[in-house]
Amino acid sequence: MVAHPRTPAGPHRLRPLREPRPIAVEADGEGRPVAVTLAGRRLRVLQVQDTWRIDDEWWRERPVSRLYFEVALEDGRVVTVYRDLARKLNGRWLIQGP
Amino acid sequence: MRVACVLIPHFPIAVELLNRPELRRRPLVIGGALEQRKVVLDCSPEAEAQGVRPGMPLRQALALCPKATFLDANPTRYQDAFETVLHALEGISPLVEAADIGRAYVAVEGLEGLYWDEMALGEALVQAVRLAHGQDGLTGSLLPSAGLGEGKFAAWAAAVTSAPGEVCVVPAKREAAFLAPLDASLLPCSPNSLRRLGLFGLRTIGDVAALPLGAVQAQFGPEGRRLWELAHGLDREPLRHRRHQESVSERLAFPEPTVSIEALLVAGRQLLGRLFNRPALHHHAVRQMRLRAALTSGRSWERTITFREATADRDQVLYVLRCTLEAAGLPGPVEELEVTLSGLTGQTGKQAGLFAAKGRRRAQLEEALRQLKARFGQSPVYHVVEVEPWSRIPERRLALIDYDP
Repeated sequence: MVAHPRTPAGPHRLRPLREPRPIAVEADGEGRPVAVTLAGRRLRVLQVQDTWRIDDEWWRERPVSRLYFEVALEDGRVVTVYRDLARKLNGRWLIQGP
Repeated sequence: MRVACVLIPHFPIAVELLNRPELRRRPLVIGGALEQRKVVLDCSPEAEAQGVRPGMPLRQALALCPKATFLDANPTRYQDAFETVLHALEGISPLVEAADIGRAYVAVEGLEGLYWDEMALGEALVQAVRLAHGQDGLTGSLLPSAGLGEGKFAAWAAAVTSAPGEVCVVPAKREAAFLAPLDASLLPCSPNSLRRLGLFGLRTIGDVAALPLGAVQAQFGPEGRRLWELAHGLDREPLRHRRHQESVSERLAFPEPTVSIEALLVAGRQLLGRLFNRPALHHHAVRQMRLRAALTSGRSWERTITFREATADRDQVLYVLRCTLEAAGLPGPVEELEVTLSGLTGQTGKQAGLFAAKGRRRAQLEEALRQLKARFGQSPVYHVVEVEPWSRIPERRLALIDYDP
């Protein structure tokens, strides 16, 4: 009997970088972010610097459809958030990891 | 160039007879015990007369000469004895070449004014070798013959045709005439060429010299040209005088023969301590270490280790000594251990390379990571690798992977 090494097997040791995580975002009537809550603190969006949309992997069961916003916050930080437009997750906001 | 050849045929046998004169005039074979699958290193003329030859398996030698006494080979002792011979010859001429064990060439140009004639010079060489081994009579086993001539081949031919203790001088410009009646087998050629010389009916060196150069060269190629030139007494091969290497040496005898590696290491540490305290090693690094062990069976064991870079670090040398002893598997209990450090150099500093420091840092980092992995079970440090750098989805482009050196 060989003792379990307690280390994850090879494929599980690949950890994606910049993984998105859910975030609370307030949006205006046009769907543009106006405030973001980071670490329990509400921060106003001073400026939307860029907007773009990604539609990919439409042939898969879970296609990717995202509307991105690069926003400058009132504390000076610039973050990238997106609204997941996929059918099952419609409306959910996420922040792209740094 | 006038050269002298000092020749002691069957040198290992001569050294053995020096210690055991009772074996004189008996068939002797040096190579080891019969149960060992070894070959004949040397044999006495009495064994040679029975057909024993160096390089032959010992069992074959026994079949040819059942009454022979078989002795263990002790190359260290033979080398030491030959060193003594070379040192004695260097007392006469500063340029001495150690061709092989028992054969040395001495440059004699410029020594004419010191001796009555070349015969007297040759006698001085023979006398120097005899005195070096404490032999003052003509009965000693280490009795060389000497030959003087133009070039090494003529000098060697003169020595090999002389009886022990005798000197033969080949007068200048008379080399070809001297060599002509000698057997063609004395020419330094491959066994195949020697066989072909016989097939052509070329029995003497004079037979080869009588042929046109083109004919010999056509049959034997470049080797033929050399044979033809040697047969005419033309030998331009320079004398390669040995280089003196400064070395320091210490030895330690054990109260009881030991096979314990720990005991040998204690002795090694002691010897290195003494050596590194020698003034000769102050501000010096060493490039080479020679370990010698005298074994109870009368045999010896020797290893020479060349360091990758000169070192003045005693601990590093001790580490190498430990590794060598552990890996060697000594063939018997050790009575005495000797450590010799050579290749002394004043360069103790290390020239830093442009990229070497980076490489060293990387090695240190990898070692640290190995320790962390051993402690935590997995590496806590990661590489960033590109997975799908072309992907439009940001989290698909890069990933972390364990840094596993």
